[in-house]
Amino acid sequence: MSDRTASVHESHRPTQASPTTRPVAVVDVGSSSIRMAIAEISGDGSVRPLETLTRDVDLGRDTFTRGRIRRATTEGCVEVLRSYRQLLTEYGITRPDQVRVVATSAVREATNRLSFLDRVFVATGLEIEAIDEAEVNRVTYLGVQPLIEHEESLSAAQSIVTEVGGGSTEILLVHQGNVIYSQTYKLGSQRLRESLQAFQAPQGSVTELMRSQVRRTMDLVRRNVPWETPIEVVALGGDIRFAASQLVPDWTPDKLACLDVEQLAAFSDSILERSIDDLVGEYHISYPDAGTLGPALLSYVELARTFDRDRLFVCSVNLRDGLLMEMAASDTWNEDFARQVTRSALDLGRRYQFDEPHAVHVADLARRLFEQLTDEHQLEPRHGMLLHASALLHEIGAIVSASNLHKHSMYLIRSSDLFGLTRDDMLLVALVARYHRGASPKPTHRGYVQLDREQRIAVAKLAGLLRVATALDESRSQRVTDFTCHKAEGKLVISVPGVEDLSLEQLALNRNGLLFEQIFGTPVLLRQANPPEPVR
Amino acid sequence: MTVHSDLFINRELSWLEFNQRVLDEAAETGHPLLERLKFLAITASNLDEFFMVRVGGLQLLAREGHRGKDASGLSAAEQLGMIDHRVRKMVEDQYACFHDDLEPALAAAGLQRVRADTLDPVQEQVLEQIVEGEIYSVLTPMAITADQDCPLLIGGSLCLSVRLSDTADGTPRFAWIPCGRTCPRILTLPSEGGYAFMLLEDVIAVSLSRFFPGEEVLECVPFRITRNADLSIREDAAADLLEGMQQILDARKASHCVRLELADEADPLTREFLQDLFDVADEDVYPIPGPLDLTGFFALTDLPGFDELKDAPWPPVASPAVDPRISLFDVLAETNVLLCHPFESFDPVVRFVEEAAVDPDVIAIKQTLYRTSRDSPIVKALARASELGKHVTAIVELKARFDEARNIEWARRLEQAGVQVIYGVRGLKTHAKICIVVRREPGGIRRYMHFGTGNYNETTARLYTDISYLTSDEELGADASSFFNTITGYSQPQKFQHLEAAPIGMRERLLELIESETRRKRQGQSARILAKMNSLVDPKLIRALYEAGQAGVEIRLNVRGICCLRPGVEGLSENISVTSIIDRFLEHSRVFHFHQGGNGRTFIASADWMPRNLDRRVELMVPINDRAAAQRLVEMLSICLADDVKGRSLRGDGGYIPPPLQPVATGNGTTDTRGSGGRSQRLLYDEACEALRRQEESHRTVFVPHRAPGHESTEA
Repeated sequence: MSDRTASVHESHRPTQASPTTRPVAVVDVGSSSIRMAIAEISGDGSVRPLETLTRDVDLGRDTFTRGRIRRATTEGCVEVLRSYRQLLTEYGITRPDQVRVVATSAVREATNRLSFLDRVFVATGLEIEAIDEAEVNRVTYLGVQPLIEHEESLSAAQSIVTEVGGGSTEILLVHQGNVIYSQTYKLGSQRLRESLQAFQAPQGSVTELMRSQVRRTMDLVRRNVPWETPIEVVALGGDIRFAASQLVPDWTPDKLACLDVEQLAAFSDSILERSIDDLVGEYHISYPDAGTLGPALLSYVELARTFDRDRLFVCSVNLRDGLLMEMAASDTWNEDFARQVTRSALDLGRRYQFDEPHAVHVADLARRLFEQLTDEHQLEPRHGMLLHASALLHEIGAIVSASNLHKHSMYLIRSSDLFGLTRDDMLLVALVARYHRGASPKPTHRGYVQLDREQRIAVAKLAGLLRVATALDESRSQRVTDFTCHKAEGKLVISVPGVEDLSLEQLALNRNGLLFEQIFGTPVLLRQANPPEPVR
Repeated sequence: MTVHSDLFINRELSWLEFNQRVLDEAAETGHPLLERLKFLAITASNLDEFFMVRVGGLQLLAREGHRGKDASGLSAAEQLGMIDHRVRKMVEDQYACFHDDLEPALAAAGLQRVRADTLDPVQEQVLEQIVEGEIYSVLTPMAITADQDCPLLIGGSLCLSVRLSDTADGTPRFAWIPCGRTCPRILTLPSEGGYAFMLLEDVIAVSLSRFFPGEEVLECVPFRITRNADLSIREDAAADLLEGMQQILDARKASHCVRLELADEADPLTREFLQDLFDVADEDVYPIPGPLDLTGFFALTDLPGFDELKDAPWPPVASPAVDPRISLFDVLAETNVLLCHPFESFDPVVRFVEEAAVDPDVIAIKQTLYRTSRDSPIVKALARASELGKHVTAIVELKARFDEARNIEWARRLEQAGVQVIYGVRGLKTHAKICIVVRREPGGIRRYMHFGTGNYNETTARLYTDISYLTSDEELGADASSFFNTITGYSQPQKFQHLEAAPIGMRERLLELIESETRRKRQGQSARILAKMNSLVDPKLIRALYEAGQAGVEIRLNVRGICCLRPGVEGLSENISVTSIIDRFLEHSRVFHFHQGGNGRTFIASADWMPRNLDRRVELMVPINDRAAAQRLVEMLSICLADDVKGRSLRGDGGYIPPPLQPVATGNGTTDTRGSGGRSQRLLYDEACEALRRQEESHRTVFVPHRAPGHESTEA
């Protein structure tokens, strides 16, 4: 027998693994479980799932009750991640660019977050990124977007896209492919259960207490979300997926499931009435899952009722799908995403009654500068998007006071959310806006001091560019629409066609251009271009 | 759950009926003699296991005064009473068959059992040499007194009780000669013609003076005890009845003596002595009217020569679906392969693992191993694969009954080769049969799977009817990975796309499928369930089947062993029929088919419909989505269900109706096609041969390939 198989393989040469497919993995360290998805990304950017794994952990219980992760829980996580690593080795997934490990609220909110992350890194070599709500929203949206676009009944209406997680609930308002609003609320299925247990609420009234707690949050959601009818609710997450698989037996996860809210409410009540042991026995789900199921479903029901919906769509996409799609997308800061950020920034600007034509024009000028000066600034495309957002928002502080408006802009931006931007990103956006005029960045400045060197340089460069852009619209008439940049005689020459007199702009530059000169080493000179050069 | 005794047949009695069917085959004069002897030995071996794993537990319950009743409404004591009655009759039949039928017939055929009084001088001389060289040095007599602790005697092994002359004060003196496991039970003696043999106990009996020089021997009789199976391996034992009663199962009691078999000519004094010593009640003593432990006669059935006394061999034939000249991965990339063992050879399954081991593109192999053969080529291939740098994971089930020692041995060998060996799942026995090969191909990762109903054991694959399904289906592959991640503890169970696994959903899925037939029938669709399994015990599934039957669903079951469902009972199960096949191969495959309004679903599984399998074992049920393969399985089911030569029908009262037409003996085994349905195993074998012949013929019209020597019939 073995002789024969050997002969079969004599002519059988190893085929090289095709360079067009690469195995990757994403791990999501959540509040009740650590999940991993292994997939293969092919040359055309499509993602083919290979394996999914899930193991229960107690992170949420630790963080949401004690504020810190216990040692035993940490070791439990280490054990899970070690076993995941073993499987990754089988697929040859060993390089850091092949695997992304993210952690959500349970790790992020733990006071001993850093020692947890260090311990995991030392024990497993895996670097966990504790990502914030905005990042979760952004990544999840990447995964949800194609499904929503394909669903006809959702294309016309606004959609609330929501996921009730263990520690927090994400709310996105989406309309025609645009994210209009995004916010994370501290309402979580496990947080609910743990807090009630911590207060030792009597068993009989637990459900009612939960309901009233959920309703309070939902009232807040209803007030905050700038919604209009018609509106639909799209729910994500393991708990609602479970409900959908029970209520819609023939549901295939590549489509959205449509649930009747009253039916879901009845199901949710029946779950809440039963003991966790009962649920584990009947549905063969894990104990942690059985614990979060009831509160999560209750939250979805209340959310749908808040918006007077009698149906609710369920989407099988999760954070890991989004992470995989992001890995698959060659340029993660893709155009559509940039559009969402812009949209979100405009919304914020309008809320502070900014000079929209001026802001949009400056942003456009800043974008052109960024594009034309790629060789000079050497920054990544995503910085261009941050600059664009800063340019849109650089004057929102005017609503507070005209004096020191750049400082008002900074704190207004810092305390706002822009869809898809992380806290770190928002700090950069705020600082760039702050430095669009006034003093140059100094190590003593708040916010600036907490940046690392690379980020400090980026802020200075972006602020320098923004100052040039604002100078170009010093007239606030949007008369400079076109220009080209080139270097001559140790200066950066900006040639502007079609404008007779550029002295106003040049004056502004002289006043404001110092930062640019400091960081790029060249002064800026405006020059009339005649005849006009072709638009780049 | 309320107990309706009339709903279920008692499982112990049903099992005994199964053994009776095997015994009927021993009595079947149409069979060649040595095959009949083998059937008789099987009944003995079966009974031993029955006492070890079932009766022991019931005895404990009865002694503790446990009043709980089983699904059929019987208490432990009542069951023991019925078992006792039934077994005594069965033992009587066994020995009647042996003495009145087989022994004289064997002698007539030249297989002569020699006894002390029939030894000829030459034989006597040889016997002396045998005793001197092989027996005397190995066996050690031991003196036994009534007041000493019960000596350690291996359960199941034969022992001679020798009564020596009484002591001065008139107390009887006993000595034992345990026969152990080293001496062969059957000793060959020279013979003028044919074959002469003597049983070990007879040999010892004529040589007693060597063992007890100068002693007067008053009596020498063989006896044998059966111990309750060790708790750690008695997964099948009465644990279903014993829930919550673990405290009574301390180790001492757990291995108590369940049964004492003793030559019926033994003196009452000897019997009493043994009963006291082993603490055996009267009802657990079985006086045996002949050689004890008929399993010893297996050795005779393997005797070389005497082919006319054996079935003509049906060597497994190659499957036309697998071309030996093409890599299996290339075959499976194109098509799915269904194999019906033992009619079709198990070779492709072995080859699957062997090819994977040396294939440079294979990155991982994962496999469950439950019972495998000595020197298993599959184990070797796994070790080889690991040495060649592939990631190999083996889920080894050490709890496989009575096989632990062997399992530990090769598991250690695998570990040394670098295989990641996982010793089962805590609290559950891993019974699923699955192998997955992960291969890196130009188009990306591709997974190849083998799913089976039988063990990865090329020896039993020649004796058991089983199904193998080889496929590279993408979704089944994802499920298979997920399954392994679950049993290796890498992941918690997740919902499968197609597979169903016990204990996390297989019963629910089966209930769903049965209930779906019920609903369809009520809505006026045609509805049918065809299923084949080894045992049907699970009360929930049986109730669902009753309900389906009452709704008018046609239910045809082929259950080889225990069946607790009562078929054909008016108002309960008129639409359900159950047949059972006992033939030369052990029926072992589990295949289920649900009509589903014409859009039939067919499954193979590693599990029987028993609580044991559905609750306490890791099992797999695999949908066969390949149309041709599913079609073939349905045809196979139909052939088995129509077997009116070897298939017997179960009656509502638990008895079985023999097939209407008995096969007639011919010079070359048996003819089989007198019934309208025919003998299923014969038909399936003929079909396999025919398929191969057709394929070879079609090849021949193109060219004649030279094959590797010995390939055409590696199984002969």
